[in-house]
Amino acid sequence: MKERDLEGLTISGVSAQIRRGEESPVELTKLYLARIKSLNPILNAYMTLMEKQALADAKKAEDEIKGGNYRGPLQGIPFSIKDNLATKGVRTTAGSKILSEWEPDFDATVVARLKEAGAVILGKNNMHEFASGGTTINPYYGTTHNPWDIKRIPGGSSGGSAAAVAASISMASIGTDNAGSVRNPASLCGTVGLKATYGRVSRFGGVHGTGGFSTDHFGVFTKTVEDCALVLGAIAGYDPRDPLSSDEPVANYSESLGKEVKGLRVGLIKGYFDELMVGEVKGVFGKAVKLLESLGMKAEEVSIPHINLIPAVQTATSRVENAASQDHYLRTRPRDYSPNLLYRHICALMIPAATYVTAQRVRRIICQEFEDVFRRVQVIAAPTMGIPAPTIEECDRGFLEVDGKRIDFQDARGNFGTQCTIPFNVTGHPALSVCCGFSSSGLPIGMQIVGGPFQEGMVFQVAHAYERTAQWYLKKPEFSGKGMSVTEPALSP
Amino acid sequence: MKDEVRRLNDEYGFNLSEAEIEQIAKQAEAARRLFQPLYEVDLTGVMPIMKIDKKERK
Repeated sequence: MKERDLEGLTISGVSAQIRRGEESPVELTKLYLARIKSLNPILNAYMTLMEKQALADAKKAEDEIKGGNYRGPLQGIPFSIKDNLATKGVRTTAGSKILSEWEPDFDATVVARLKEAGAVILGKNNMHEFASGGTTINPYYGTTHNPWDIKRIPGGSSGGSAAAVAASISMASIGTDNAGSVRNPASLCGTVGLKATYGRVSRFGGVHGTGGFSTDHFGVFTKTVEDCALVLGAIAGYDPRDPLSSDEPVANYSESLGKEVKGLRVGLIKGYFDELMVGEVKGVFGKAVKLLESLGMKAEEVSIPHINLIPAVQTATSRVENAASQDHYLRTRPRDYSPNLLYRHICALMIPAATYVTAQRVRRIICQEFEDVFRRVQVIAAPTMGIPAPTIEECDRGFLEVDGKRIDFQDARGNFGTQCTIPFNVTGHPALSVCCGFSSSGLPIGMQIVGGPFQEGMVFQVAHAYERTAQWYLKKPEFSGKGMSVTEPALSP
Repeated sequence: MKDEVRRLNDEYGFNLSEAEIEQIAKQAEAARRLFQPLYEVDLTGVMPIMKIDKKERK
């Protein structure tokens, strides 16, 4: 195998070869490490490389398989991890200056479960400061660049994870999603990105304050839906260290793949998403829905009467929960936050307790409205982002102009980039972003497939049927570092 | 709003400038406007949601 072959590699494809001894985890890991060294100076997707440990883990996987101890399809598979997930003995910064020196003495449960499955951890991915933004323009560790166009952002806050998978410098990555931080960068980088039902994946070991207690989810980046199903199967399940994790049994998600979708109903929510999509995204999303219909699915308009209150509920909930988690550092190191994040936390401290509780009551009404919809349809389809990836320059100036109008990235409703994804952080429903086409300038566009609580199998079934027919996953970014200037990180690894 | 920011500034020791206090107060005012419609919903008999759990579904 050569380095370039990594672009077409999937977990489902290579794991069988590893099992049969036709591919070596050590050689595979070496190829990934070489590719990281060649491309990371351009992309800045990794902030910490775990070369020595990765090679040792790959050797262990190889020896175990040779000795007849096969752990499963993730054995010997190279992963990367967002830097707000604790990794024992490895710096975990959460993209912040405050935690720039922190080396946990424990693994997050998701990391521990990947290790138990025999996965190889290549390193830690760059992210937005404390996961509090959607660009991965990080003042301390530099900007991560989008592999489809390095002048553009990869999205965020798990931007390094998405860029790494899209550029084939990781086969899969684990990120976190408080407002769309897995699905948003998955959409902008053309990967699959899943946040499962709230409680499906343990959140033990996530850096506190990088997501609200009740809105944050850990999620998965892969190239294909099939790979995503394999990874979720390995990391899902009850964890006594996370009292909010669910003891609902973990299904065999791979069994959902390949099932016919004919006759299933897909809901399209009226109003809310239409206002958020620019013309080009609307066109691509509309074609994707037509394709689902061509597979025999029945599309129907559905209504969530209080959906326009979701930005208020999300803001009142996640910002309060985040600021509460950061209280110690707000008192002891306030000037070690970037100014905008500090201002945001101070605003959150001013939200009355009564507003927080009122938001939770409205949230129940919204969840009930979604439950009513899921009695009529099996899945909901929605755009993941209303726009393709903006340029870094557009993000720095705070707006872009498209379709003859100006779109501000921050307005009264919060972050524009999260408006399509936050409904499912508020409700906790499983939501997967799959590439559903490309803009005229060659940038990926994502579609969310959303299921009822703990219906990840249904989400995989529909997303897989779409993906295999549309075949956008076969398209790969071709990029070079020509003409780009990499943002110099202030706190180099 | 500015007074509230100043109170937090004293309590937490943020050492904010007047320009920063003004900027934060404006953001807090915008957030308050965003939350106002939440109080216009009829919440009679509605309990706050605490956790998404299949076992709670009917």
